Amino acid sequence: MRALAWSAGASALLVAVYLALGGASYAPASVADPCAPRDWSEPRGVNEVGEQIVLSALDGAACRIGVSREDIVLAFEDQDSLEAFGREHGVTEAELERLARTGLERAVTDAKNAGALSPRLANLIRGVVGRIPPGLLIGLLDRVPDLVFPDS
Amino acid sequence: MEITVRPHVLLLGLTVGVALADSSVVTLALPRILADYDVAIGTLAWVLTSYNLGLALTAVPAAFVARRRPSMVFGVSIVVFSAASLACAFAPSIWVLIGARAVQGMAGAGVVCAALDLLSQATGGDAPAARVWALSGIIGAAFGPAAGGILTQLLGWQSIFLVQAPVMGIALLALRGATAVPVEEPAGRPHVAANLALLLVSGALVASSFLLVILLINGWRLQPLEAGLVVTLMPLAAIVAARTGGRITPLSARAASGAILIAGGSAALGWLPHAGARWTIAPQIAIGTGLGLALSALTERALAGRSAQAVRGGWTIAARHAGIVLGLVLLTPLFTADLERNEDDALSAGAAVVLESEIPPLQKIGVARDILVAVEKAQEDAMVPDVSDSIDHQDDNAYRELASDLQKQLNRAVTNAFSRSFLVAAALGLLALAPIFVGRRDVTV
Repeated sequence: MRALAWSAGASALLVAVYLALGGASYAPASVADPCAPRDWSEPRGVNEVGEQIVLSALDGAACRIGVSREDIVLAFEDQDSLEAFGREHGVTEAELERLARTGLERAVTDAKNAGALSPRLANLIRGVVGRIPPGLLIGLLDRVPDLVFPDS
Repeated sequence: MEITVRPHVLLLGLTVGVALADSSVVTLALPRILADYDVAIGTLAWVLTSYNLGLALTAVPAAFVARRRPSMVFGVSIVVFSAASLACAFAPSIWVLIGARAVQGMAGAGVVCAALDLLSQATGGDAPAARVWALSGIIGAAFGPAAGGILTQLLGWQSIFLVQAPVMGIALLALRGATAVPVEEPAGRPHVAANLALLLVSGALVASSFLLVILLINGWRLQPLEAGLVVTLMPLAAIVAARTGGRITPLSARAASGAILIAGGSAALGWLPHAGARWTIAPQIAIGTGLGLALSALTERALAGRSAQAVRGGWTIAARHAGIVLGLVLLTPLFTADLERNEDDALSAGAAVVLESEIPPLQKIGVARDILVAVEKAQEDAMVPDVSDSIDHQDDNAYRELASDLQKQLNRAVTNAFSRSFLVAAALGLLALAPIFVGRRDVTV
């Protein structure tokens, strides 16, 4: 019976140590909730302002669809993955247009609130976003990475 | 009691070790076999399953024949096993390989069961024969993955089978001067509780015998040789435990202690706090010790009784390999599903790492796409990619940090993908306690 107690104690100790070291939570990091507000970091130059606007727009669209912004980035890998994403989440072109407009508007508001855009520039951009033809707006979201990151 | 180690005994032990090592010997070769035949993982798993299924289904019938004509069964089985090994080495398609593996398994059953009767003659008694037989089986099963990994890396996966044919052929020398006496007494009933416990313990060991090496090679990118050396810890612990554990009485306490250690070690592998071979050391020692204690005690108990030794041996082999098949059938789909789920999680986490990294914004999407390409390429090789190969500008601290963070996410994902399978294995180990305690008084000697 001593052997039984020894083996049970050794097993319990081993498992307890591994759990205490974080064994139960050693998994890929979970992605942030796109619907939760994010802090705007102090942008260093126009590229970073653009980047934060795009990320914020992605958050806005992702929040509406119920996915993460990372899912949207991965969906833009190629046309096949974009179509698969649309089918999986039931996102039509019209829905994409609305999401793109909402996301960009939200991003501009976030940028203005963070002091990255002046109120006047923010209103100007918001006006442009509101007047862009639907097809162009969808294309804008589809090509967001290329437009904002032309070297990619 | 000391067993006189004679050439006959050594050769017979060698055949048992080789035949039982074969159930796991190709584990480390699976990625290479996958690359050579270009098949789905589900099909590839049959390279392991067919051998164990052949062994499990044939063991008892082979044992009934072996008790009447052990020398004949041993000789024929050795020849068939060697021929099937050569067929495996030169298999032109995956289905020929799977078929030849099934034949190997059936012949292996004949070898192992007949060897038990021949060992009784060679050692002068059933009890020492059972100890040699059980120890050979433990050494073979435990060293199988390591031996296969070393051969695969040094000489290619086909060498595993090419080496077996002459090794088994040499064992035919064991028949020279063998004086096996046919057993005339009734076959008797198997020890159900001990065999059921063997089945469950063997099912639990599938995770550490098969999945651990896949995690080391495909997940953490160790070379087969390195992985082979890492998993050698387990058989070393098993041999020490099997040799020294005989002092633990009663048998049920030894078997239960082993099952608990297997469960504890498997659970620790299921809750690894970090990726890396060093985190598997303590669980491997626990599982190896458990393996040595549980298999020796349960085999000893299952072989005890008035029926013919070979028939009792046949039942234990059938139980052990049915357990391996059970483990493969239970764990393979679970592990495959978890791998797919974690791949999606890893891609999302990786995309988040890229988006939030300190590299210039203009580079982020380009880097993300390069990594996706690397992941897809690695999927074709059934390997987790080394992302540092996909990221340029490694002289820049921000890129180095990004590569390191991405690799951490991939390591987390692949390690976590094995978690549930190890935990199910731990549950099987604990489940084995039920027949161990239920059958603790049911020993007839």
